[in-house]
Amino acid sequence: MFSQASHNSRTTPIAPLAGSTELLSRINDLIADLQPDRVDLLKAFHLIQHEYGYVPRESIPLLAGRFDTTPAIIFGTIDFYSEVHLNPPAEKLVEWCSGPACLLKGSVPIRGVLEAVLGCDMNQTSEDGKYELRLAQCDGTCHLAPLIRHEGKYLGPLTASDTIAFARQLKGEPSLEERLAAAAAESTADTDEEGAE
Amino acid sequence: MTSTYQELRSAAEEAWRPIDDPQRTLIKVSVTTDSVVVGAKETVAAIKSELARRNLDAHVMITGAWGASYAEPIVQVKKPGEPGILYHQITADKVPDFVERAVAGDKTPAEYAFAALSESPVGRVAPLMTLDFFAGQVRRLMANGGITNPEEIDHYIAQGGYEGLSNTLKMDQEAVIKQVLDSGLWGRGGAAFPTGRKWDFLRTSDRTPKYLICNADEGDPGSFVNRNLMESDPHLVVEGMAIAGVATGASLGYIYIRDEYPIPVARTEKAVEQAREKGLLGKNILGTSFSFDLEVVRGAGSYVCGEETGLIASLEDRRGMPKIRPPFPAQAGVFAQPSNVNNVESYANVPMIMRNGAQWYSSVGSEKHKGTKMFSLSGQVQRVGILEVPLGTPMSTVVMEIGGGTLEGRTLKAIQPGGPLSGIVHSRDVDIPLEPEPFKERGMFMGSGGLVVLDDTNCIVDLCIYFEWFAEDESCGRCTTCFAGTRRLLEILRRIGSGRGRPADLDLIKLLGETMRNANCVHGQAAPTSVQSMFRFFEDELMEHLERKRCPAKACRGLIRYEVLHQSERLPLAEAVCPTKAIVKDDGNYRIEQEKCIKCDACREQVPYAITVSDEFGP
Repeated sequence: MFSQASHNSRTTPIAPLAGSTELLSRINDLIADLQPDRVDLLKAFHLIQHEYGYVPRESIPLLAGRFDTTPAIIFGTIDFYSEVHLNPPAEKLVEWCSGPACLLKGSVPIRGVLEAVLGCDMNQTSEDGKYELRLAQCDGTCHLAPLIRHEGKYLGPLTASDTIAFARQLKGEPSLEERLAAAAAESTADTDEEGAE
Repeated sequence: MTSTYQELRSAAEEAWRPIDDPQRTLIKVSVTTDSVVVGAKETVAAIKSELARRNLDAHVMITGAWGASYAEPIVQVKKPGEPGILYHQITADKVPDFVERAVAGDKTPAEYAFAALSESPVGRVAPLMTLDFFAGQVRRLMANGGITNPEEIDHYIAQGGYEGLSNTLKMDQEAVIKQVLDSGLWGRGGAAFPTGRKWDFLRTSDRTPKYLICNADEGDPGSFVNRNLMESDPHLVVEGMAIAGVATGASLGYIYIRDEYPIPVARTEKAVEQAREKGLLGKNILGTSFSFDLEVVRGAGSYVCGEETGLIASLEDRRGMPKIRPPFPAQAGVFAQPSNVNNVESYANVPMIMRNGAQWYSSVGSEKHKGTKMFSLSGQVQRVGILEVPLGTPMSTVVMEIGGGTLEGRTLKAIQPGGPLSGIVHSRDVDIPLEPEPFKERGMFMGSGGLVVLDDTNCIVDLCIYFEWFAEDESCGRCTTCFAGTRRLLEILRRIGSGRGRPADLDLIKLLGETMRNANCVHGQAAPTSVQSMFRFFEDELMEHLERKRCPAKACRGLIRYEVLHQSERLPLAEAVCPTKAIVKDDGNYRIEQEKCIKCDACREQVPYAITVSDEFGP
């Protein structure tokens, strides 16, 4: 049978790149039953991602060997699919729905809020590596629009204020009430000082 | 020993009887994506533990969806000899009270009651089919939604499932294709090509093996009809593909489901497995000489894999980039073998055609277009959900009656059919029938069934920017016409949306739109559609953005600014909520620092009367 993958293949086997041997042997076990030209490459990505939460770069040469092709082709394929990730997700991952129903109901302000509070741009990780914001595609749960997803839960319909409360809680920052109380205490202190003068 | 269809059917009816006519209380919970996200799984668990705690004898089962997403989680309680009663929004926290009153007691608590599964009202509970959401519907593909368990093949067979396949096995291929042609069924994926003719291309090809592909990569944001179909009644697709396999001589079928749909993936896989166990797939189907098998493939988040050649490339272990046709899939499809690609809904329609005949099938629909079509309704509409109406039904029936129109106090502005590449319909055209021609006349597509409703708080330019961003983001990058065209288009639209539009931009957009008609695949060709509808139907709004740098709906963020309208004692609340510290206090007065403001609206939500949104570039 003919396919582009095998068509582009090299005949010489590719030596695996350096990597943890344990990791490589586990991935090798995962993909042991898969074959080229059997619609198995997507399955391989899903199997590995299910196990690790991402596709480790070290597995690319391994996959190339298994699927009779070059690491470049495998990398290009991973790169093409937005749901296949080459990096592990951050500790706290927030997914923001980019769908039209969410847009019309105010998802853009929500995105802005998440970026501001979590300190990372869309599809980026915060500087401390703890928070990650991912753009999610519409899955038709539009009765919750605008929505975000976190730890398998769907949160919606959200207002900007709800989102701020959620993101601040996620970061362990003071809530709106605590901020108000702190501001009130500060201004009382100011007044007291003024009174003392 | 292979069973005959009659044997399978009798066994299935036996299994179905205690559910159809239960001798003890039966509780059905819709468990599909739209109910799971509002806690349907927790509801099931809570009901089970509450029943155990109270020592109540009742059977709990899951079902597919009724389509009324807005009312989920929906729970049906059916007591022996009584009509079933549907209850809405039964979340786990309501379960103890709900079980006490609706299951243990003999009341139908009014605050939970949704509808009765009967011809006439039960107490004050109205029959389901008299509810606005259901009254205008003709439910054929959705007939089992809310009724059967999608994970039980017997439930499907007991409703007459696989009878179509059994009939097909007794006919010759030409006769099957003729019946599909006579029904008037055309492809539901958007291109509206007669399904029977497509099948005939594959049948007449003399090369083997031949493949069938089911395109379940429902990537159009705002469309979720295929999702609902596969998670509520996956056997429709399995049976439809088996029939197509018999009719075309294909030996293997792939069901390519997008990665974002885990429940449909799991249920379709289960359906395939069960069909194989019953001898309805695999070698020698129902003891005949026909063999056909199916494989479920999970996508990985690429929109262009919904284009048939892109999908084929994705199946061939590589980047899912579309290519130029010809060759068409019937000549050289997956692995360069003859293939046929149909949408989920196209396949799902086939079993009923083979069971009830072409004439029955074409008894509903418009003059030119027969059968029903599923639509998903979302956006600024009262009732979000999935529904099924005959083709040719006025769009206003779906949006205004079934969907209940816009939210209180808002007016309808536009309807966006079938995905980001399909165009935008003006509210004055809301009465057009739901069939391909009226859309085509307006330079648009009906698409695969999503209807997203816009009201006066939404901006067309803003929506076009979104669609063009989507088209640019998802462009595969093979042809410059598409990847550069969408990028230029997006730049120009963003310019207009932020008050930097130039008079020459109008001609540039038109030129780009015309040029992109020459893109390699439909993704690039259709990418300018919504922008072109904006030119045709919403020119006033576009010119307002371009000439006066004003967004009438105050949605384009580059054209608005937030300001403190007057000093209020509640403004500390706004200061505390602001995520960017843009609200500052100078000399006892609050003001908004424009450089810091991200226009998130949180301050106005907190102090609506003290904060105002005005035009960035003056009145």
